[in-house]
Amino acid sequence: MLEAFLTSTIAMATPILLAALGETIVEYSGVINIGIEGSMLCGAFFGLAAAYFSGSLALGMIAAVAAAIALNALLALLVVNLAVSQVVAGTALDILALGLTGVFYRRLFGITGKAFTVAPIRPIALGPLAHIPVVGPALFDQNVIVYAAFALVPCIAGVLSRSRYGLELRAAGERPEAADALGLNVYRIRWQALLIAGALTGLAGGYLTMAYADTFVEGISAGRGFVALAVVIVGRWNAYGVAAASVLFGSAMALQFALQASGTAIPYQLFLALPYALTLAVLAIFGGQANAPSALGEPYVRR
Amino acid sequence: MLAAKAISKRFGRNLALDGVDFCARPGEIHALVGENGAGKSTLINIFAGRLRPDDGHATLDGAALRAGSPHAALRAGIAAVYQSPMLFERMTWEENLALGGFLGEADQLHLDEVAARARALAAELSFDLPPPGTRVEDCSVTERVRLEIIRALSFDPRVLILDEPTGVLAPGELAAFLELLRRLRADGRIVVIVTHKLAEALAVADRITVLRHGRRVAERPAAETGEAELAQMMIGELAPAPPRPLYFRHTNEPVLMVEHLTAVRDGRRVLDDVSLTLGAGDIAGIVGVDGNGQTELVEVMAGVRAPIAGRTRLADRGDNGPDAQMAIVPQNRDLDGLILEMTLWENLMLAPALRRRFSRSGGWLARARAVEFCAQTLSRFRIDAAGPFAPAGALSGGNRQRLAVARALATAPKVLIAHDICRGLDLRATSEVHRMLREYAAAGGAVLLISGDLDELLILCAQLWVISRGRLTEVPPENRNAARLGLLMSGAVR
Amino acid sequence: MKAGIIAKPIAAVILAAALIALVLLALGASPFGVMGALWQGAFGTWLAFTETLVKAMPLVFCGLAVAIAFQGALWNIGADGQLIAGATLAGALGPALTHWPHLLAIPAMLAAGVAGGATWGGVAGWLRARRDVNEIISTIMLNFVAAQILSAAVHGPLMEPSRAYPKSAPIAPGAELHLYFAPSRLNLAMALAVALAAGCYLFLFRTRAGFELRALGRNRRASAFFGIPIARLTTRTLALSGALAGLGGAVQVSAITHRLYETLSPGWGYEAIAVALVARLNPLAIVATAIFFGALDNGAQAMQRAEGVSPVLVQVIQGMVIMILLAFDTSAWSGMRTVFAGAPTVPAANTPAAASDA
Repeated sequence: MLEAFLTSTIAMATPILLAALGETIVEYSGVINIGIEGSMLCGAFFGLAAAYFSGSLALGMIAAVAAAIALNALLALLVVNLAVSQVVAGTALDILALGLTGVFYRRLFGITGKAFTVAPIRPIALGPLAHIPVVGPALFDQNVIVYAAFALVPCIAGVLSRSRYGLELRAAGERPEAADALGLNVYRIRWQALLIAGALTGLAGGYLTMAYADTFVEGISAGRGFVALAVVIVGRWNAYGVAAASVLFGSAMALQFALQASGTAIPYQLFLALPYALTLAVLAIFGGQANAPSALGEPYVRR
Repeated sequence: MLAAKAISKRFGRNLALDGVDFCARPGEIHALVGENGAGKSTLINIFAGRLRPDDGHATLDGAALRAGSPHAALRAGIAAVYQSPMLFERMTWEENLALGGFLGEADQLHLDEVAARARALAAELSFDLPPPGTRVEDCSVTERVRLEIIRALSFDPRVLILDEPTGVLAPGELAAFLELLRRLRADGRIVVIVTHKLAEALAVADRITVLRHGRRVAERPAAETGEAELAQMMIGELAPAPPRPLYFRHTNEPVLMVEHLTAVRDGRRVLDDVSLTLGAGDIAGIVGVDGNGQTELVEVMAGVRAPIAGRTRLADRGDNGPDAQMAIVPQNRDLDGLILEMTLWENLMLAPALRRRFSRSGGWLARARAVEFCAQTLSRFRIDAAGPFAPAGALSGGNRQRLAVARALATAPKVLIAHDICRGLDLRATSEVHRMLREYAAAGGAVLLISGDLDELLILCAQLWVISRGRLTEVPPENRNAARLGLLMSGAVR
Repeated sequence: MKAGIIAKPIAAVILAAALIALVLLALGASPFGVMGALWQGAFGTWLAFTETLVKAMPLVFCGLAVAIAFQGALWNIGADGQLIAGATLAGALGPALTHWPHLLAIPAMLAAGVAGGATWGGVAGWLRARRDVNEIISTIMLNFVAAQILSAAVHGPLMEPSRAYPKSAPIAPGAELHLYFAPSRLNLAMALAVALAAGCYLFLFRTRAGFELRALGRNRRASAFFGIPIARLTTRTLALSGALAGLGGAVQVSAITHRLYETLSPGWGYEAIAVALVARLNPLAIVATAIFFGALDNGAQAMQRAEGVSPVLVQVIQGMVIMILLAFDTSAWSGMRTVFAGAPTVPAANTPAAASDA
């Protein structure tokens, strides 16, 4: 039972982790993206749609990534070039994505009449490692996206703290006008960050419909995008911290099923609410924004 | 040769530069002088690529400089150190320098190499660098200026531009700094310094360009001109002789008592046993280099920061509480003092005393009365504005400062505390504000001015303190010479 | 009133309509057919018109909630959860009010709504004020939690006696807000909504607390400097905001549904963000924009019958309208930034000033 719980934890943590890693990069550059939820949803739907109609999961994942990047590009246009309120623009994107995916889902689903499902990406067991008791399946018998997500953690950590790119990213988020005076292109840095995050969020969305589940329901992202925002804060804008926080929230989501399966008398809604309440509680304890990049959320306009 | 031809730049209604020509030659220190608002910063921002001129163009060695791109300017060999600090506070100084020119185009971040090259450069310039791994927010103001200079030099620039570089230096450090400039010139570089301090310009520059109201009025070799002539060209008329300082006697009516104030921030003592007494009719001043506790002192008095020891006492708390007795004009008027998007009458309501005065029972605002009061205040203090409903952002810098001062004085407080009250104002606005202060003091008010501008305080203040590392040192009139004050301000002497 | 203030929202709606037309063509539907169906569905008959007003009601309450909070740069995305909290409390109280006369029962219901919503908003406010928790995240989390609490309630303790369907027992007849215009569902609560809008306007622009809130939203540092009690203001404002939304929830239960269902809110709290922004955070204008979006919601069903386009399209419209409005408000178009260059420009795009012209 513990094995199943741990496997579930890692599986549930993955989309949050991917989105949060992307958001860490974006927030380093000084932008706060409230629209992660929308990008994830678009990735989930349009990826599955592409996989369904083309029969190819690979094509589906590419479409998922493309959809999320497109949405992030729209956000970048608004908050970087037009320097509008980042909070409001992100929220608008979430509403828009909910509407777009809903409309296209009902339109397409009505036509096909068949179940909107694909054969999901299969897990790949990493040899004998997968047989280690308790943690084996959780860590070494997952699908390729899970491996990629966790493999990205040290990569991104390294890039952010030890590369010149990371330093320039931080400069754009700490004091954009100083970065500008030093010849850095703040607009380009923020655009790049948003596009990279779009790719990661698209992966997360595609994972939801093509690996974790095998179908799409409206609102399938279920607030994961917002949890990712909290994860970045709790993880103190550090890739390893983000990974740890993602696993924590993944475990809260996994706990839902474990407790439900155990047949307790407690109503299942409490378990559904658990990840969100936990997010709130953790934020209340650890949620100070003191470590945030100094210019986070402030639009920057080049004179 | 760094040149500009017929450059014009307009910001909204304001014509900052009007057909300006400029020329600085290699191996020359060129001073760009003018009073606040003359257009000096605008011109060098254009050279550095941060602003795009509306007309005209800038060239370096005959090649046109691509407008509006700091990257292109750095590539062409122009580096600048600006008036407002451009360091990243939360990064270490090595990381800050790494964003300069030491790494070239490399992708790898070799911080130790950066540190090594920085040390070599610093040694040449007889600088000290902070200990390894120190964050900029923990560095002193002087260290930060040096870091910015080193970062600028790391680009190995043909042209080095410095905007008001001596503003943050204590008088004693000035000589060393000017010597540094001469050394830079020896390499064949062009050094342009922007300043409104004529004595310094004459001391170090080879040639001087004078700007007034956005136009170039003169260009002279330094040897062929003098302070009086330059001042006249800067202002456009014979500069009035500075008024003799008036020494008021203490009226034996202490109004404000600050007693052993100590405050801590991030583990550091920013205020250390600060005590002073202010009497009715006094104009007193605290002079010091930015970052020695002035901001924290104002914050404690405003009630925004809690001290760990000591207190501020008003002799007469009056009927309406301390807010009505003490008014504060903060340093950064646009960030802390005014809300630019709100109307003028609403900005007046920010003052707690006025807010209370124009509130009725039940929490309602006495709107009509407040608007009327604003109209009266605008005319009484001669603020140039469309009316009480104009947005504060539509006012010019000078008028905004007048508004901030008017707001402070409008409630007839017993004590006025002003931080950098005349920073960024041109001479006319400055003398206006000084006049307002003098009138207020003559009527019995007490004024505490906190400023880095020694000249201003020497003219206005009866009592004078120097603040350094959070400690106050009183300076009696007989000790008020530049040398002594310089030593006190730099903390070399207590 | 300057013409520009109204012109921008109208232009935004027109541009959004044009873009929607493209989306519709991509879906294989006829833009004109859709617009005709929307109009018919929203205003075609008297019944349709009153139903539009009924659909607008919760949007007024939630729109006011959002606008009040946004004026202080407090990003309350949780109006949905606050509405649910108020509704749940009212729906729990309602059945117990048997034999209560109207004059007592109705205020009791409304008070329950206020209490529930104020608590839900106040929690987020307190977290922001005392623990520096980003209120966007906290209010959204509370949305999810509220939805689950409602679900658990109607499946459990509040479930109707016959235990056949997940809904609560009906509220006592005394607790129902009368339908004065039967068979339409229009009722007195609309008057309450309009009165509240006027009250919110007075609060924002004629009281000291409202002034301090607007100052806080535009310049936090200056507000702190001049002694505006930021922590207290944050908590109270989000509680007030929640109370308004909760009141809307209680009104829904009392006047329309008469009991609790699992899916009480089709996302009014999120829609209210569009309502508030298009109204430029002006409470009086919110009545008008709420009716506009209510018309869209109402007409959407007719649109589905006529053209087969899902009503969810309305959300696409909402999202687009907000983004276009944002784009119109930037420095590129507005003339506000004609300030002397020497002054640092305070980044105002993240403050309510960018969304309102009051």
